[in-house]
Amino acid sequence: MNIAIVTDSTADLPPDLSEQYQIAVIPNLIMMGGDTLMDGVDISRQEFYERLPWIDPPPTTATASPGAYTDIYSRLLRQGAEYILSIHPPAALSGILNAASSAAQAFGDRVRVVDSRQVTLGLGFQVLAAARAIRQGANLEHVLRLLQEMHSRVRVVAMLDTLEYVRRSGRVSWARARLGNLLQIKPFIELNDGSVSSLGESRTRNKGSQRLKEFLYRLGKLEQLAILHTNAETEARQFLEELQLNLPSTPLIINVTTVIGNHVGPNGLGFAAVIA
Amino acid sequence: MSVDPTIHLRRASEQQKPVDGRAFKRLIEASLTWLRTNQQIVNSLNVFPVPDGDTGTNMVLTMQAAFDEINGSNEHNFGKMAHDAAHGALMGARGNSGVILSQIWRGFARAVDNNPTLDVPMLIQALASARDTAYKGVVRPVEGTILTVIKDVAAAAAEMLAEAGAPEAVGLISLLERMVEAANSSVLHTPELLPVLKEAGVVDSGGKGLFFILEGMLRHIDGLPLDTALSTVMPLASMALENTLEAIEPGQDYEVVVDFRPYEELDLIHFYSNLEDMGTSIQLGEGDGMYRLHIHVPTEKLYRPIDYARTLGTVTKVAIENLIDQVEAQAETCGEEKISLSPIEAGQNAVIAVAPGLGIGRVFASLGVAGIVEGGQTMNPSTQEIIHAFENLPTDKIIILPNNKNIILTARAAADLTVKKVAVIPSRSVPQGLAAMMRLIPDGDFDSVVSEMTGALDDVETGEITIATRSVEIDGVQVQEGQIIALHNGKLMLSATSLEEACLGLLEKAHADHFELITLFYGANLPKTEAFRIADVIRLNYANQEIEVQEGCQPHYQFIISIE
Repeated sequence: MNIAIVTDSTADLPPDLSEQYQIAVIPNLIMMGGDTLMDGVDISRQEFYERLPWIDPPPTTATASPGAYTDIYSRLLRQGAEYILSIHPPAALSGILNAASSAAQAFGDRVRVVDSRQVTLGLGFQVLAAARAIRQGANLEHVLRLLQEMHSRVRVVAMLDTLEYVRRSGRVSWARARLGNLLQIKPFIELNDGSVSSLGESRTRNKGSQRLKEFLYRLGKLEQLAILHTNAETEARQFLEELQLNLPSTPLIINVTTVIGNHVGPNGLGFAAVIA
Repeated sequence: MSVDPTIHLRRASEQQKPVDGRAFKRLIEASLTWLRTNQQIVNSLNVFPVPDGDTGTNMVLTMQAAFDEINGSNEHNFGKMAHDAAHGALMGARGNSGVILSQIWRGFARAVDNNPTLDVPMLIQALASARDTAYKGVVRPVEGTILTVIKDVAAAAAEMLAEAGAPEAVGLISLLERMVEAANSSVLHTPELLPVLKEAGVVDSGGKGLFFILEGMLRHIDGLPLDTALSTVMPLASMALENTLEAIEPGQDYEVVVDFRPYEELDLIHFYSNLEDMGTSIQLGEGDGMYRLHIHVPTEKLYRPIDYARTLGTVTKVAIENLIDQVEAQAETCGEEKISLSPIEAGQNAVIAVAPGLGIGRVFASLGVAGIVEGGQTMNPSTQEIIHAFENLPTDKIIILPNNKNIILTARAAADLTVKKVAVIPSRSVPQGLAAMMRLIPDGDFDSVVSEMTGALDDVETGEITIATRSVEIDGVQVQEGQIIALHNGKLMLSATSLEEACLGLLEKAHADHFELITLFYGANLPKTEAFRIADVIRLNYANQEIEVQEGCQPHYQFIISIE
């Protein structure tokens, strides 16, 4: 069966992997300083995080238009795809799913839009799993079931430098309710099956890093792991080095998409894991 | 014990009267009054030289709550009256001593049940029940405390009955007399059971409080006065002057302390009665060839204690403080703003934190607590105050952070009195409470969250800086009253002559150079500029650590320090 896969830049797939599996990645948009830039294309992530705390008014993010999705769906179908799987983050967290769904309507049954319930590599790992299954000959129903089953096994946990960016994003109601931190704290958040929750806080970076490891070890045996950060590469490398885990392959270290970074702020450290 | 013949006659007549609900009410009132009169004596027995939750004050407030519950009642039934009083004590219990006292009443009430009057066998059973309930209420009972005293009193009562052979041979009043004697001996014996008491040269404060409660009843029966303290003088080092601010009697405006060298031996009875004409909160301390007198007076009598002392000897020092000004000044530095709390969603895990100061309360609020209980000047909230903080929340998953070792029992008592699911995390200090807050997951599984929060208590070291309320030697550290002292994780570490010295000394003892973050919560008595200045000095000495300063607004403690 010829099934093509489409996702968006919030999946954080390294270009070599998306090329290898022929996954089409639609870039999202960042509006800052009066310019509209394409995520990962027009501005590097590093540059973005370096500028982030100083940009006023704060940058905003936007999804690619439904038109961009219509274009890619048409093209892929013209090129011979029987079906298209378009996998994206949850509607509660972004407008991407809506844009894709709008575009998909014109194509009826041939384009299936899937809510991955996850972001960054939580989404990326699902996309890769789908791609691998297709390579091995799985049919559409099989892949859809696989994705469904994966939801409860994927976790994204992050230690942030501050809750300020999350609060500003307005997408997490409990963050709004918190009354401004009097103490310096590093908040922990978790994305699990579509919802963002608080996992408490740490007072120091070191303790926070320890706690992040604890959260990871507690998941048990892992199929996939990626270390995520927002412009904190050295720390991410060190974190990985200190980890004592048996993994099938070396985990990726990813500087997270600006679209998410805008909502969590720089100096974040976390992981995306798929439990075996 | 030989009894004055008038008392003997009086007792014989009192003995005829049935002890019903109304008699019980009068006895409770007598206990309360006598305990209050001797409150400072009990307070002065606190071994640890910190101005934290005085036993005397806590026991008075607990007895007051018991009495308030029955004051308006005309209940004839002894058992019912006892139950009501026990309920009042339970709700109004403050501090460890208050909670244990309330457990004593609870056990007592349980045994007397619904009986209309009290008789000898019932009383003996009730004492045993009181003892058992008190012991059961404490996770690790310690001998040489109020527990031992109630145990000895119950034993003495049972012994008296055994000796007499039959209940009819024992009079209730003689039994009470034996109980008071037993309480007295037991209290005197407490230093033999609890080494720290011996080291400090005092008897157990809670036990002494219980003694006064029993003695008050006997004095009432004997028609002896309850509102004048026994004319005693205490060692200078034991004078408990720090906490006299808690309960300023109405009409008193100034605190006057006069040191004088007497011309001749003081006639204490005359001395006290003269002072009682002038004011309240009277204490007399004796030092090396000198006396220190402490009193609260209204403005129009401001100089009378000084003039009086001058007739008795050479006045060497006088200190006068405006009471109202002191209390108001404290309220000003920390503002009147109410703390706003983030709303709790139905079914979430809700945390109630006890905060000794408004600033600390704000910090807990910023971390997401659902309710705050102010410790107040006594730093000991009652059971009722804690329950009040969570009973109306839209969840029944409650977690309490007492943040003080003297409040843990009270929190547990509150937990027992509600149908909500309540876990008490045994946080012994504000830094521990904050460390536990870090682990709160509002939507997490209750038991796992409680377990995580409890585990976090050891993540942080606690430092406390305050002024010694007595001169004592503890754990090899020599302390003079009025010196600045530092505690590390509740243990007395050192004494110093300046705040700076105390802070730096504490940080050194706590090996702060091995940690990352030092947070200083400064108290209501410390000006902001001074707090920041000391923080800067610390920064110079600890260049590799991060130093954070927060307004704590707590009374009594210049600094509460968290090291992590």
